[in-house]
Amino acid sequence: MADRDLNQMLKKMEAESQLQTEGDTERLDDTQRVKVLSPGRLVFKRFIRNRLAIVGSCILVFMFVFCFVGPYLYPYGQTDKFYITDIFENSNYAAAKERTEYSNYEIDESVSVHYLVTNMMNYFINEMKAADLDIMLVKDDFGEKYIIKYEADNIYSLNESDLTRVGLLASALLVCEYDMFTQTITYSEGVEMDDAFGMAVRLAVMDREGEFVYGGKTYKVESAGGKKYAIWHHLDAGLQYITQSPGEGFEAAVEAALDGDKRIFEFGGSQYLIDQTGSDSYDIYRYAIRKMLYVCSPYTVDLYSGADVPKDFLKTALIGFCRGGVFSFDGADYVISEELEDGESVINIYRAGEARPYALFTTFSVSRYTGSGGLLLEFKDDVRHKIQEMSEQNKSVATLITKVEKQASDGSVMLDENGNVVYEDTEVTITRKGDNYTITTDRIIDLIDMYAPPMSKTSSHTHIMGTDRDGFDVFARMMYGGRISLVVGFVVVIIEVILGILMGGISGYFGGWVDTLIMRLVEVFYCIPSLPIMIIIGAYLDAEQVNPYVRLVWLMAVLGFLGWASVARLVRGQILSLREQEFMLATEVGGLRVSRRIFRHLIPNVMPQLIVTATAGLGSVILIESTLSFLGLGVKHPFATWGTMINSVSDYNSMVNYTYIWVPVGLLICLTVIAFNFVGDGLRDAFDPKMKR
Amino acid sequence: MLKFIVKRLLLSILILFFSMFLIYLLMNNLPTSYVEKTARELATLPGNQKSAEQWTEELIEELNERYGLNKGAIPGFFTWLSYAVRGEFGESWQWTVEVTEKFSEVIWYSFFLALIAFVLEIIIAVPLGVLAATKQYSMTDYTVTVVSLIGISMPTFFVATVLKFVFAAKLGWFEPFGMVTARLAGKLTGFAWLLDIAWHFVLPALTLTIIGIGSLMRYTRTNTLEVLNADYIRTARAKGLPESKVIGYHAFRNTLIPLVTILGGSLPGLFSGALITETLFSIRGIGYTSFESMKNGDIPFTMFYLAFVTILTLVGTLIADILYAVVDPRVRVN
Repeated sequence: MADRDLNQMLKKMEAESQLQTEGDTERLDDTQRVKVLSPGRLVFKRFIRNRLAIVGSCILVFMFVFCFVGPYLYPYGQTDKFYITDIFENSNYAAAKERTEYSNYEIDESVSVHYLVTNMMNYFINEMKAADLDIMLVKDDFGEKYIIKYEADNIYSLNESDLTRVGLLASALLVCEYDMFTQTITYSEGVEMDDAFGMAVRLAVMDREGEFVYGGKTYKVESAGGKKYAIWHHLDAGLQYITQSPGEGFEAAVEAALDGDKRIFEFGGSQYLIDQTGSDSYDIYRYAIRKMLYVCSPYTVDLYSGADVPKDFLKTALIGFCRGGVFSFDGADYVISEELEDGESVINIYRAGEARPYALFTTFSVSRYTGSGGLLLEFKDDVRHKIQEMSEQNKSVATLITKVEKQASDGSVMLDENGNVVYEDTEVTITRKGDNYTITTDRIIDLIDMYAPPMSKTSSHTHIMGTDRDGFDVFARMMYGGRISLVVGFVVVIIEVILGILMGGISGYFGGWVDTLIMRLVEVFYCIPSLPIMIIIGAYLDAEQVNPYVRLVWLMAVLGFLGWASVARLVRGQILSLREQEFMLATEVGGLRVSRRIFRHLIPNVMPQLIVTATAGLGSVILIESTLSFLGLGVKHPFATWGTMINSVSDYNSMVNYTYIWVPVGLLICLTVIAFNFVGDGLRDAFDPKMKR
Repeated sequence: MLKFIVKRLLLSILILFFSMFLIYLLMNNLPTSYVEKTARELATLPGNQKSAEQWTEELIEELNERYGLNKGAIPGFFTWLSYAVRGEFGESWQWTVEVTEKFSEVIWYSFFLALIAFVLEIIIAVPLGVLAATKQYSMTDYTVTVVSLIGISMPTFFVATVLKFVFAAKLGWFEPFGMVTARLAGKLTGFAWLLDIAWHFVLPALTLTIIGIGSLMRYTRTNTLEVLNADYIRTARAKGLPESKVIGYHAFRNTLIPLVTILGGSLPGLFSGALITETLFSIRGIGYTSFESMKNGDIPFTMFYLAFVTILTLVGTLIADILYAVVDPRVRVN
């Protein structure tokens, strides 16, 4: 303040004297010849004399403009993906397959069926087909029983049923199993025996196979594989009832069904089912189907319009099929009918009130190789016929001409004036691979414009620095990356400085035990290796898959928290020497508050050194950030930072081939950090000219 | 002097204790879910006879026992400390051998790599720094200043990548990765083996030198300038000594005082490994090993490495302090 006053005073005097002596020639002792500069201006003057500092400042100004203004002027963003279109000969267009595997469609989600049952549906159905059964009983691991029922060709259903085990027909009954290894007896369901029987079993098993008598009954021991033995009890009587006999002649009905090789029969108004449990033993159940849980079918649905099949339409149609061929979906009613078309049986679905069929069931599925959207039925038919022909002639490759969407030169589908897709006759190739058929044709395809070299002619857009692996514009990412690097640098340094001033200020001003404590803390923080800690935290955030924004905040907070120690030490050192000076005595005499004395009178005097450290610190923070990002543990995709950009081409082959990505980015990092160091050095020399000779 | 050393030593132990506590706090605060997840991942690695669940449980049990992760921060810390003091750091998850065993296997690679770079740095940086100071504001000075600033400002990974690109990819003089030539692995013995390793160490050592040279050059220059401003130099000149003698004898020997202090202080650092350089060049040293461990959440090795680096830093400061006290008796008083 004093200097400025002096300056103004001198100027005033000068003005007055000039007024008085206007017209006089300049005198030697003219005060105008003496220039008194404020300390700030002195520093500034010394700073701009330093060539390196000026170079540094220019680079920094350029960087700031480049990173913060550049993105507004540049047309592409950091996550704009670029594509190129190209004609790909024989690119995969569609896939075809004759479906034989049954898919399960869940009807009632409230009943959970054990996954073992649902997963084995294909096996069960094949078993049923082999034995020509209409109904089969299946059990899961917990003894829960379900009924699989034949509904129509290629359609089966899994049902929840009321089942009553009426009786069993067996020549022998499995009493128990004995495991020699663990010496345990496992009794069959519903069988209870005393310990003496157990002893008898053990004795009998010693002789391996054979028979033994216990309680007047004959038991047979049979090896059941490994160290296990099964103990059977011979039954003389034919049918043994578990519940009451349903009536006279029931046994005869069972025998008749078995003789006729049937598994279901009706008796006395109830349905009965015979479940084969062993080579010569059967369980007889009375059953009533309660609820359909799953419908299983290899069918798919094709719409005649060629449009996409609505979600759940297939399932609803299949259920409708099982329930008499009528169903409604999405507000419309549909009727299913089997018809003969060109000598083939076709199952068509009619929408109520329409004469032409709406859709059809087919086990032959043709679908697009990639992307969504239905295929023209005509195309599917052509393909199907061709494939039939191929399998008849046993060929694995065939070509045909069929209708495929016409493409515009940019790869999009061509539409006519009514907005309908235009189809044109195209030659397609069908190739067989096992049971699958691939349909290939020449298509125009959109591809990510990967690693386009700078100013490449083949790209759809001009990229000054080319594109990277994700088809992002490198130049745009350089700007956005710099933005993040600079922001991280500033935020971290601000955190460091605030923490450092607080701790250093308190420590230096109060001294004594507070000082000792804080200085020990500073030393502790000095010792802690910050890069390893950042790596650990980075790995942790990686494992937790933290959102990139949150990650960025974490990164800045931790870096700031780990870096305050050096600032605190500097502030303390300065304050220790400053507080002994007269102006501090004056503040004390003036009765100023402690906080005011520290933050208004001491800290401003530390500022020059702080600014120097902070400027150099900015450079090192940017270095740490880019190193972390390079290691893949700092700022994450899709955010661009300089470190991640180099990391994306860090493997050896990319490094050799894509120099146009990593070299400019690396140079940007170097330039920025060098500039901060130049400016920091320049400021130090300007603030403290004693260092200069 | 003895009193000073003892005092500094005790202080260092105190600081070490609290640094360890902070590091332990970090580990202790890693959520259990992360620890469990890492353990599970490691347990499902191929080659484990035990089932994954069993392994995970065992790992966590061992972790709880050794690190007291299930206890509070303070009792847990003492649990860990009681093991650490005895040198028992447990078995590394990543390397499936004792932490200390892995450490003794890899440490010497790191040390020799760092030593080569250290010697190179001194040989290049000190004379250049002195030269720059004696010819202040000359072209030499500017060049040295700029070069040293560039050295400080370059990220290690960039230097390494540039070196790899130029010397391995374009010129083909060196291999970009590894410590031994793959096709000769296990076949070389004795001197040939040593030569092979040395050949692979050239690029990493060069990287470390380029990175480290800047600060040493700057430090030498600043200190030499300070010395050259001293009165005794003026006296030496005034009494008519030749300039070579003024610089080489009077100035340089005094410049050596802070230099020896700082170089002595950085000696323990030679053991801490070059994390990034080793990783980039696949040198199986402590830096590479610890980086892999930290990245994959290998808690036993990470804790060991953090403790090790902290101790190295402390020993470095201690050596610097003591050396400083030896050369400058005024320090001993405070």
